[in-house]
Amino acid sequence: MSLITHLAIAPVVIPALAAPLALLVMRRRRALGIGISLVSAAAMLLAALALLWAASDGTIRTYELGDWPAPFGIVLVVDRLSAIMITLAASLSVIAMLHAVLTRADRKGWHFHPLFQFQMMGLNGAFLTGDLFNLFVFFEVLLIASYGLMLHGQGPARLKAGVQYVIVNIVGSSLFLIALGLLYALTGTLNMADMGLRVAEIGPDDQGLLRVAALLLVTVFALKAALVPLHLWLPRTYAVSTPAVAALFAIMTKVGVYSIIRVVPQVFGDGAGAAAWAPAPYLLPAAIVTAIIGFGGVFVARSLSEQAAYAVIGSTGTLLIAVAGWQQDTLSAALYYLVHSTLAGAALFLVADIVARRRAGFADNASPGPDFAQRQFVALLFLAAAIAATGLPPLSGFIGKLLILESVADVPFWGWSWAAILFSTLIGVIGFARTGSLIFWKETAPSKAGPLEGALPATVSRADMVAPIIAIVLLAALSLGAGGATDYTAEAAAQLLDSAATAHAVLGDR
Amino acid sequence: MAIPLTLYTLVLLPFVAALLIAAIGGNARVLHSGIAAAGSAMGLALIVSAAGRVIGGEEFAVAIAWVPAIGLEFSLMIDPLGLMFAGLILGIGLLVVIFGHFYLAEGEATARFFASLMLFQGAMLGIVLAGNVLLLLIFWELTSLSSFLLIGFWRHKAEARQGARMALAVTGGGGLVLIAGMVLLGIVAGSFDLMTILASADVVQASPLYPVILILILIGCFTKSAQFPFHFWLPHAMAAPTPVSAYLHSATMVKAGVFLLARLWPVLSGTDLYTVIVTSVGLVTMTFGAFVALFRHDLKSILAYSTISQLGLLVMLLGFSIKMAAVAAVLHILNHAAFKAALFMTAGIVDHESGTRDIRRLGGLAKMMPITAIIATTAAAAMAGLPPLGGFISKEMMLYETLEISLFGLPWLVPVVATIAATLSVGYSLRLAWHLFFGSPREPEPYARAHDPGVGMWASPAVLVLLAVLLGLFPMLLAGTLVASVAGAVIGEPLPTLDLSLWHGVNWALGMSMMAVAGGVLLLWRHKDLLLATASLLRPDAKAMFQSLMAGADTLVRKFIVTTHTPSLQRMVFATFSVVVVVVIEGAITGGGILTGPREGLPASPVAIVAWLLLIIATAAVVNDERHRFRVLVYISVIGLIIALAFVQFSAPDLALTQISVEVVTILLLLLALNLLPKAPPLLSSSPRKWRDGAVACLGGLLVGGAAWAMLTREPNDPISSYHLANSYSGGGGTNVVNVTLVDFRAFDTLGEIIVLGIAGLAIFALLDTTSRGSAGARLRTWQQDVPHSPESHPIMFVMSTRILLPLVLSAGIYMFLRGHNQPGGGFIAALVVAIAFLLQYLASGFDWTDARRRIGEHTMIAFGVLVAMVTGLGALIFDANFLATAFDYFTLPLIGEFELATAVLFDVGVFCVVFGAVMLALAQLSHIAQRAARAHQAQLDEEKAEGSR
Amino acid sequence: MTLEFLVASAIGVLVAGGIYMALRGRTFQVVLGLTLFSYAVNLFLFASGRLTVNRPPIWSKTVTEYADPLPQALVLTAIVITFGMTAFAVVLALRSFLETGSDQVDGDIVSSDDQQPDGNGAG
Repeated sequence: MSLITHLAIAPVVIPALAAPLALLVMRRRRALGIGISLVSAAAMLLAALALLWAASDGTIRTYELGDWPAPFGIVLVVDRLSAIMITLAASLSVIAMLHAVLTRADRKGWHFHPLFQFQMMGLNGAFLTGDLFNLFVFFEVLLIASYGLMLHGQGPARLKAGVQYVIVNIVGSSLFLIALGLLYALTGTLNMADMGLRVAEIGPDDQGLLRVAALLLVTVFALKAALVPLHLWLPRTYAVSTPAVAALFAIMTKVGVYSIIRVVPQVFGDGAGAAAWAPAPYLLPAAIVTAIIGFGGVFVARSLSEQAAYAVIGSTGTLLIAVAGWQQDTLSAALYYLVHSTLAGAALFLVADIVARRRAGFADNASPGPDFAQRQFVALLFLAAAIAATGLPPLSGFIGKLLILESVADVPFWGWSWAAILFSTLIGVIGFARTGSLIFWKETAPSKAGPLEGALPATVSRADMVAPIIAIVLLAALSLGAGGATDYTAEAAAQLLDSAATAHAVLGDR
Repeated sequence: MAIPLTLYTLVLLPFVAALLIAAIGGNARVLHSGIAAAGSAMGLALIVSAAGRVIGGEEFAVAIAWVPAIGLEFSLMIDPLGLMFAGLILGIGLLVVIFGHFYLAEGEATARFFASLMLFQGAMLGIVLAGNVLLLLIFWELTSLSSFLLIGFWRHKAEARQGARMALAVTGGGGLVLIAGMVLLGIVAGSFDLMTILASADVVQASPLYPVILILILIGCFTKSAQFPFHFWLPHAMAAPTPVSAYLHSATMVKAGVFLLARLWPVLSGTDLYTVIVTSVGLVTMTFGAFVALFRHDLKSILAYSTISQLGLLVMLLGFSIKMAAVAAVLHILNHAAFKAALFMTAGIVDHESGTRDIRRLGGLAKMMPITAIIATTAAAAMAGLPPLGGFISKEMMLYETLEISLFGLPWLVPVVATIAATLSVGYSLRLAWHLFFGSPREPEPYARAHDPGVGMWASPAVLVLLAVLLGLFPMLLAGTLVASVAGAVIGEPLPTLDLSLWHGVNWALGMSMMAVAGGVLLLWRHKDLLLATASLLRPDAKAMFQSLMAGADTLVRKFIVTTHTPSLQRMVFATFSVVVVVVIEGAITGGGILTGPREGLPASPVAIVAWLLLIIATAAVVNDERHRFRVLVYISVIGLIIALAFVQFSAPDLALTQISVEVVTILLLLLALNLLPKAPPLLSSSPRKWRDGAVACLGGLLVGGAAWAMLTREPNDPISSYHLANSYSGGGGTNVVNVTLVDFRAFDTLGEIIVLGIAGLAIFALLDTTSRGSAGARLRTWQQDVPHSPESHPIMFVMSTRILLPLVLSAGIYMFLRGHNQPGGGFIAALVVAIAFLLQYLASGFDWTDARRRIGEHTMIAFGVLVAMVTGLGALIFDANFLATAFDYFTLPLIGEFELATAVLFDVGVFCVVFGAVMLALAQLSHIAQRAARAHQAQLDEEKAEGSR
Repeated sequence: MTLEFLVASAIGVLVAGGIYMALRGRTFQVVLGLTLFSYAVNLFLFASGRLTVNRPPIWSKTVTEYADPLPQALVLTAIVITFGMTAFAVVLALRSFLETGSDQVDGDIVSSDDQQPDGNGAG
């Protein structure tokens, strides 16, 4: 066995080693700790890219932990989908971490770097595992880490929002366990591929129970994905989090989306009797409402961070409109837009931060303030981020939305989907135009003090623009390289719909 | 240069120029405008170089694949239509840049201005040269964005910001509608390649989606080309600097809609629906715009409405679906571009040199600024359609074609209305020229100031006006072939014959236009009275309407969002549980099947029933006694205990042990927390809410209980755990299958699990470490200890007993740990036991004593534990096994005898460390705070006592 | 009356109590609610292995029938994780009470509306 076979475990092992090491050295040698953290992020990115490349040949690689054969042990599954998610997470982590370090946000409290690493471990584990209970465990890892990160920097607003975020997610986790119990009781297995096979053999007497389990499980994922009406926890939480953290959180809702598109075809596919595609009828309407409410929030939000938070909701809605099609082309569109919207959301949070850092008293509120450092350039960054978030050309959002529009055109109720996507885009554009023109165009006399507390703008270095620039460059690259990207997502979608192939890859000829 | 290269260069040049300008930045106005001019000039040269062959009928297309998945490719094509527009864009662009250089003052943000201008130029070229409709859409939206930036150029002006936002909302929104239309069109036509689409008229017009497609696309065109009722953004776009108005809002961008109509003429036009909609919209816009223009006073506003009117004329002509009408349209596009841009520039000059744009304050300027006067008057004459200017010819053709069309079955309707519109446009053209340059000055101040600008500023309009004149004098020579080939490109087939000339003999058209001229003169003569007459006419202020609409939407949506998204945990949790209840019911009903399964149950012993009753009573007590928090804790621990007993009963000793030890720690934790929390606060919930919650709760309980029942009464479906049972000893080296599962079969879960605990510890530490600061610290200092404590802080018996107990408990913990692999126990339970022992030390002896005897910090414990677990897991890799693979063997030592060494045990050490570290970190930190608070409180009391005694 | 019924009904009662408490207005009550709920959930997960008496999954050559060990392992993991989560929630509740002086779970009604809004209309 060469090292390449162990590559699958690297995205979990790297942060899991980096975190305790950083923890050990952090208290005495901060610089070293940061170094470890950064190196780990870079290493994760390399491993992810390697996996992305490895998965591009279409083979599904599995990694049996402890050498226990699936389905009896826990198995990691590296296919195109998980490779995409891992790579996305790694890229995002580099951006967020850079921003945290450059803006010294990581110094505003204890254990930022260990928590960050553990968060990455949780994310990567969730994206890689092929075992449903193990997915739960990694959900918990990334959640508890996210609690710590979300409260990083503290202050009343964060603590208040934190209580709600934590408790809502604890409820979600409990529901996850109930669904798991039902599924184990019915199928006697925890391995997703195996479960998919066994679900097909469940008798008529148990169909009701099976469907309940399926719907419950998807509900839990929908809660993570912040699908209306399970989205209420998100706006406050994201808006008050440390921007670098909020940027990383842009992928948290996508974990929910990922779980839906991973589990439903694999376990509740055509063969699943009453549970076959169980969430399908409800996903589309919910997604449509989510998209509109999300961008409605963008339309009226009073600060950039609030706007970014609602944009995350809206983009998840748009994304799930595509997912709800459950066809290869719609899922492919969804995956492309997933990558795009994650980066776009991150960019928004980061730009909101660099605005806030330059307007001390006015923060990122959509209210005119005195002139501030590098306004021209910051305005440009905001323009780019807004263009990306709303899905205007030339950034990847436009291509993403075209993909979705075209792919859902043969799905029932496509008219509603189109109307929702285009209308939400319009109100999003108007909303961003409003806040942007207020912050970057309208100007008040420098003498006027800000509505919020806080003295003169802290002397800010241009360094804090690096991270958002990277994000925007990535978005541009995603737009230019859309051809290759969509090829990859198309194959990924085909792969994840072919549950039989996955099952064979995981279980062999059983 | 080879054509393909030309195409790419054409489109890329402006963007490169924009980048360059932006990169240079600063105040180098000459540099900025220089680069912009050079870019435009080079582009123009390229166009000219290609012109011959293109007009000659060759068509050139190039394509680079971009996103095959959606049929988007970077494909450009140039045909006469594209050529003409590209020529206009670049030619007028060049003149505008020159004009703008002199128009903008030094020190203005010329970099931003010219960069945006070039950005727009590139986008516009993209539209007219795109060979793929999706690519066209991209450039289309880019023009909206760049026009947004340009209108808002003077960002300190409120009307600039509002105008910009309005333009973006209308044109951008229209663009989105257009996207829908175009994508549908592409889907119906089966391709997004322009040529293919143009060739598939029959398919498209046969499709049931045709009306939808048509209307969507038309909305896109009408918004962009400011057609009624979407016209209102254009006058407010005049807040932009005059060069921008001249370029975007008269010559090019607003023509994008007209261009698209012309471009798609072959595939969309010809149907009654098309003719009716497009013609009537154009007709209405033409008349309405001309009418309003007649009574405006701001020069740019007059020009804006005249532009609207002229665009209406073009749209109407294309709506006719008649070949010759298309020819007229093409010719008029040329004319209008020439004279309207010239007029805008002269308006800018007047504004620039006299300080006002209000026509009521100006007059007689011919004396002061003769050159400007000549240029402007000639241009106005062209706009009025007076011979011998180009405007005359195209208007004649227009009027002539109106006779061919009958709208709503009324053959006279179009000609009559068109004549009226023509009359009005003669009126406002004459008024513009006359009131501005002739008669007597109305106000001294601007009159005195006014003077001709430098040649730099009047050169551009002069060139344009010259063009307008020559177009009139030598139409065939100058534009004949071009117009013919362009018109051919529009209608998609070669034109029969074309004769452009001033004199077509006496015909209806001539009569109509003579009427128009006469009427126009009349209008000018009686203008004052007309003003008074129409003053009473209510003029709806589009801007106010738009803004009140926006504001209304804003308040409404905001109210909705705010009220629905109040950060209320109760609402979040309620929403979650309601959704759960609904989906569970839906699943059960839709899924069908049976509730109670075949598996026969185990008889319940009286003890079990008693325990069950106890549990239910305790739960009820928790719910009903929610206010007395300490008591509630007791109930909770009772419940925990019963559950532990249940685990014993149902042959899960490990679980029982874990449950008990976790229970103890949890209760300790809750006690410590409650110590600092309000003990018996008033209840919040109103009783209706309680009923609502109660209902959801009961439903939830019923459903989950039912699910449990259904589960328990079914036979297991050969679970994978049989494998675990079979391989636990042989493969895992342990007889306690649960423990082997935890540290071996599913060690990966356990790794995650201990990391969760570790993170919890760290996060809790991070949370509490700051407690003594800020408002929290203040609150702590005023905290009241309301639980009576024994007078001495550490009762001696308690202290001694715990200190004696400690070693015992420790050894018990070690024992628990070692037997774990084969008997109930293991690292986790051991850690908890030891932790509890230490916590007792804290409670009994206080921190000072304990801390002094506790060497290793918890952080280190956690880190070390995770590392040990990880390294154990990674060790397997050395032996070519997978992560977390284990090994074990049996050894014999004297005295001890045979014993087993398993790497799993090493892993368990990691578990022990993390769990111990985390639990200690959490609870120790918490009790630290409690004690600090207590001390602070004590000190306070002593102080008060001292006060009292004195 | 069977043990199955006792367990199922107990789970139901705990869930009901848990949900009700989780919907109360103060953090401490909510945490208690979650504790009840998690008891129920652990029992539920355990029950997915069905009920067996006197057959602990301690392997020995003589025994052939065991209780299903897997749910037990899962529940063990679940208990630990739940403990971590509960601990964190408790401390957070306490911390937020100390910071804000209120242990009510509902944030202020006007969210981020404090600074004067500048609507879509003007500006």
